Amino acid sequence: MAELVLSKVDKIYRSRGKKSVHAVKAFDLTVKAGEIVALLGSSGCGKTSTLRMIAGFEDVTSGTITLGGREIHTLAPSARGVAMAFEAYSLYPPLTIGENIAFALKAAKLPVSEADAKVKDIARMLEISDILGKYPSSVSGGQQQRASLGRALVRSADLYLLDEPMGQLEPQLRAVLRGRIKHYLREHKCTTILVTHDQTEANALADRIAVMEDGMLQQYATPAELKARPANLFTGTFIGEPPMNIFDATPSIASGEVRFDLGNGNVLTYNVSELSDTVTALIAKMPQLVIGIRPHALHVAEGPIRATIMSCQWLGDQTHVAADVGGKTAVSVAHDRVDLSPGSDVSLSVSAADLHLFDPSTGHAIAHGSDMA
Amino acid sequence: MSQLALKSLSKSYGAFKVFDGLNLDAGSGEIVVIFGGSGTGKTILLRLIAGVEEPTAGTIELDGHDVSDIAPEHRNVGMAFQNFALFPHMSAAENIATPLKAQGKSADAVRAGIDRVAKLLKIDHVLGHAPRELSNGQKQRTALARALAAEPRILLLDDPLRNVDAKLRFEMRLELPRLLRQSGATVLYVTQDYKEAMALADRIAVLADGKFVQVATPEDIYLKPATLGVARLFGDPAINTAKTVIEMKNGMASAKVGGRDIPLPASLAAAAGRGITFGVRPEAVNILSPGSDGLTASVVAVTPLNERTVLLLQSPDGWEFLASLPASSTSIPEPETDVVVDFDPSGTHFFDSQSDERLHG
Repeated sequence: MAELVLSKVDKIYRSRGKKSVHAVKAFDLTVKAGEIVALLGSSGCGKTSTLRMIAGFEDVTSGTITLGGREIHTLAPSARGVAMAFEAYSLYPPLTIGENIAFALKAAKLPVSEADAKVKDIARMLEISDILGKYPSSVSGGQQQRASLGRALVRSADLYLLDEPMGQLEPQLRAVLRGRIKHYLREHKCTTILVTHDQTEANALADRIAVMEDGMLQQYATPAELKARPANLFTGTFIGEPPMNIFDATPSIASGEVRFDLGNGNVLTYNVSELSDTVTALIAKMPQLVIGIRPHALHVAEGPIRATIMSCQWLGDQTHVAADVGGKTAVSVAHDRVDLSPGSDVSLSVSAADLHLFDPSTGHAIAHGSDMA
Repeated sequence: MSQLALKSLSKSYGAFKVFDGLNLDAGSGEIVVIFGGSGTGKTILLRLIAGVEEPTAGTIELDGHDVSDIAPEHRNVGMAFQNFALFPHMSAAENIATPLKAQGKSADAVRAGIDRVAKLLKIDHVLGHAPRELSNGQKQRTALARALAAEPRILLLDDPLRNVDAKLRFEMRLELPRLLRQSGATVLYVTQDYKEAMALADRIAVLADGKFVQVATPEDIYLKPATLGVARLFGDPAINTAKTVIEMKNGMASAKVGGRDIPLPASLAAAAGRGITFGVRPEAVNILSPGSDGLTASVVAVTPLNERTVLLLQSPDGWEFLASLPASSTSIPEPETDVVVDFDPSGTHFFDSQSDERLHG
């Protein structure tokens, strides 16, 4: 267990005759000892380059990486004290699943009985006890992925790097394994970096999530904070499934009321007392705003937004409602079952505490409803 | 009268049986989702209906007529695939025109047909583009437009959203029901995504082990799964299960789950002594206030899942199970604490431990 610090890390790929690619830009990140951090972003955002620099498969172009106070970015991969599970599994084909998992323990000269016990425990956790004697080529992709995870987790390391570790897992197992792995990482106080494009996985496992886009850190915060206080429109619309609803709005403040005109006669109106003074002052300065409303905060109920139901889809534990609001599709999600027929006219409501306000020119967040209460 | 009927339809390749004795009636304009894992034969079923492959036994009827002697191009069937399968050397418009031209439509009718579906699918601005210039979303819309262009009576969609990103898949899922209804076609829609199946289907036909295990509305599939297998395929996280035995205590049927007796429906009393699999959906696990009468479990981990929070719980006798509650719930516990839970009967299911078939109601 050790703290990882990335300081002003840059990665520029140069190849002759081609434009150089600035994949990671002045990236700062601190992962506290024992913390689980997710690097989250879509493909090309720089998360995999970052992971490869930490692991030592790529050089840093500039900047430093320290682990437990030790500069590691100049060390060989094997000298960094890092255990890694790969997206492509990378199991040794001539070794059984059990031998693959035990490999690093043998190399570390752990007594055989101790190594066996560790392998058995990790295999039980990952539900691969019954395939320990099989070869990688004879088991499913999901099983190979679990074996690859087991091989990384069974080791004792200063840092665990997990690259898309659960993408191939069988859906029926995924939720239980997420819980078990999170518990394991906590119990063993593993400092962990998880690289993923899947926000569900990041949210489930991580203490904090670093959202990356275009080689830059967009926001670094807990899953709850990312939801409640997105720093900009990018993280606001990127985090959350289904994504946040976005409206252009013209604000005005008069006779004790704050009004957001969304066009087409839809005007959100709140009493000034529902918003804090600071927020009201900020709004007063803005001729135009972008308002974000999460689908769970947009309710089909008596309210100021007129809408026509486009579809209403019950998924067992939630209902997704799509509604036409002045030619735009708005999405409302309810935890219970709702039946609304397509074509019917409804109204939508949202409370002041559930608004997210962004500056349309910069995309930066101006205020969040959670600040207003 | 059903518009599309499969009667004892079977397909084998040599000794390998893909499916055996499939029966299905789809009404005019109905959306039937064929749901199953990979390798269950969903695509082969569509190919039989399209006429590009022949069944080993059984018949396919359109409007009450056996189609075995009707050539594929005369079956009035439109098809779209997960890999889009656009002709690379043709523009989007030319791709969409192919079925219309195959029907010998006049140039004006072809143009009108293209315009109609292009507008519907919001691709009017990219009609002149070649497939390589289109985004995956636009490719997929173009493929759908081509399938819809000739106004087919039957529309076969083979996992059309599989290769588009999550955001677009979600948008299309909201939009598709309207598009499909407007087309008026009877739709067979293949997917492996249970949410897509529930969102789009009038009825879902669950294909497993070469059979339709259950053909029912999304509501019945979720609330009354016919087998343990069906119950496990629908729901995220998947249903919790525990093997147990029906016991009689003071004239009441009960079973031990997590080391505690839980009452069973009276109809199960007759089966006392029988081994069953108890199933409870994660969202039907209620967290009770501390000190309540219920099953005590320790919280192993707390994992947020979108707007819900999933708890990994363990009972004193070692049974692991999940609870899923709204993230806004005030009763979300900390890891390493104890909670008291009970099970909402509406999300509780009982299956025979031998046959995996549903036992009650």
